[in-house]
Amino acid sequence: MDVSKLVQQNIEMDMTPMIDCVFLLMIFFVLVIDLSQKNLEDLILPRAVFQEPDDKPPENRPIINVLQNGSVVYNQKVIYDPAVHKTDYRPIKQLLLDIRADGVNKKTLKLVEENIGGRMVSLIDDPILIRADKWTEWNYIGEIMKQCSMPEIAFWKVELAMSEQDKETGEKNKKLTGGAK
Amino acid sequence: MSALDDVQEEVKPDMTPMIDVVFLMIIFFICIDFKVLESKLPAYLPKDKGSNPNKVEPQEQLSIKVYVDKVGTPEYPAGVDKNSVNINTGRAYRFKLKDHKIRWEVGPKPFGTLAEVEAELVRIAKDPNSQVADDKHPGQKKLMSCVIEAYPGTFYDDVAKTADAAHNAKFEEINFGGGLGAKK
Repeated sequence: MDVSKLVQQNIEMDMTPMIDCVFLLMIFFVLVIDLSQKNLEDLILPRAVFQEPDDKPPENRPIINVLQNGSVVYNQKVIYDPAVHKTDYRPIKQLLLDIRADGVNKKTLKLVEENIGGRMVSLIDDPILIRADKWTEWNYIGEIMKQCSMPEIAFWKVELAMSEQDKETGEKNKKLTGGAK
Repeated sequence: MSALDDVQEEVKPDMTPMIDVVFLMIIFFICIDFKVLESKLPAYLPKDKGSNPNKVEPQEQLSIKVYVDKVGTPEYPAGVDKNSVNINTGRAYRFKLKDHKIRWEVGPKPFGTLAEVEAELVRIAKDPNSQVADDKHPGQKKLMSCVIEAYPGTFYDDVAKTADAAHNAKFEEINFGGGLGAKK
């Protein structure tokens, strides 16, 4: 065996930089990926100028997405599709009942007893957020709000998501543009 | 210098796998969409109204009706239509609505622009006749509530802008009328 063959057999690649790089990337992704965003659909919210900021959203707030065609999506699952269900809104009602039952069982949603019109009703004292695209027909959002007000569901704190910026037109509130239009 | 030393000087680590990984990562970052999620932006939400345990007496409230003059034309990205599905999201493609036109009625008065509606709401809010008895604080008065009635064919954007204008005019109790149904 000559010397050059002996040396070739001993050469081993230094994997350290690659492993460093891979670990750094893993750390980056672990920090960046926010699993709480999984229940947010890609929508363009209408712009609002004078509404209240949602600085500290509650951790367990249920979020219902309404797509442009009126489909209701919860945790990435299409619950109600107008093309399929038409005016049968029972899937929306069932979804809200399930959210309520799950939240009460896991104690992520707080109940309060209120006397409404002489009848004691267990209201959910935590908010529910409806996120809809700006070009979603109001009818679908109104239907969800109506279902939320049913005594057996009783989500009385319904929040509607809006944005400081219209991502379709690029319009921003003055606060974001520093006063410029 | 021995032959062994000579060869050792030539030894270089194989950078190919690392470069492969780095290029893959570059491609990955180029391909993913670094957009700001809506949830990261501060949302503007209506204030909680609270529930009233007392018997609800009929109260005077301001009616703001939103009608559709022109529904408008949905404009899809080039090469897709309303039945096309985006394979990346599994959802239908988003459209932009062009030439959508609405009009309002604040009480009995008709208005064609949001600016006019805003001005009228501010005027009404400042009018002492708009004050009603406050059930929660007997003996005190408060600004009457308003109800936004969105007629069939109106969109969330229309209602949101109207609610925004009402909030700007200091209306705190903003109700949403329902039951008007979908667009025919």
